[in-house]
Amino acid sequence: MEAMKELVEFIAKALVDFPEQVDVKQVEGERSIILELRVAPEDMGKVIGKQGRIAKAIRTVVNAAAIKENKRVMVEIIQ
Amino acid sequence: MISLEISAKTVEEALDEGIKKLGVKKENIQVEILNEPSQGLLKFLGSKPAKLRLTVIKEPEEFIKEFLQKLLHIIRLEGDVSVEKNEEDDLFLKINGKDLGLLIGKRGNTLNALQYLSNVVFHRQFACNKGRILLDVENYRLKRKKTLEQLAKNLALKALRTKKEVTLEPMTPQERRIIHLALKNNRDVITSSHGEEPYRKVVISPR
Repeated sequence: MEAMKELVEFIAKALVDFPEQVDVKQVEGERSIILELRVAPEDMGKVIGKQGRIAKAIRTVVNAAAIKENKRVMVEIIQ
Repeated sequence: MISLEISAKTVEEALDEGIKKLGVKKENIQVEILNEPSQGLLKFLGSKPAKLRLTVIKEPEEFIKEFLQKLLHIIRLEGDVSVEKNEEDDLFLKINGKDLGLLIGKRGNTLNALQYLSNVVFHRQFACNKGRILLDVENYRLKRKKTLEQLAKNLALKALRTKKEVTLEPMTPQERRIIHLALKNNRDVITSSHGEEPYRKVVISPR
């Protein structure tokens, strides 16, 4: 499941101005995994987008990749 | 390769200004210092500005291709990424390989999300480039185009038969365009788009 964490990290780093401040924590449950994404305060808008469009696209791509692993993955962007 | 010479009081200022002019992120630029700034003996006499040459080392095509290759690698999918450019600087990226269905998703959902992200990432790196990124996996776009054209014809008939408007599901601008074009020469119906992105829908109305 490291791949999902790596994927969120990779996409987030490509979107922000401060890639060194991107941090993803993995919280594992029985059937699902929560990936907590933290970025620099200035970069919040860059991973969320207008009306959450970027965040939604990140979730769509991550969910697709997670099908392979047979788990539900939730991406949460932490303030 | 694009390159630019620029002068300013300090090296940092010249670099900042040059980056702004090129509209490219620092990571994609090679910096050569042609002249170190010097103050001169007296403050105003003989002071020289810093002069730099900035060269864009990564071509836009190469950048976005690498982005997708790395992404495939992370999720352990094997696929070849190819890239083509048209006159308007649009980049057509094609991914072909085995078991790539999950990159397409239901009605191209995943493919469209990935295309959207690629565009955002790309324009953040190359702010001056006005071209779009158009992504395709295993020729899905062409197959989808044929399906949409057939759908458009069927629904135009339905609109005529029932004498009522038919509203389609939300689609991307690319897909709506296919519907509009498919019915452009149909004199019995009119097509129009309604609503806000990303929920904008095509409506087919009998004339």
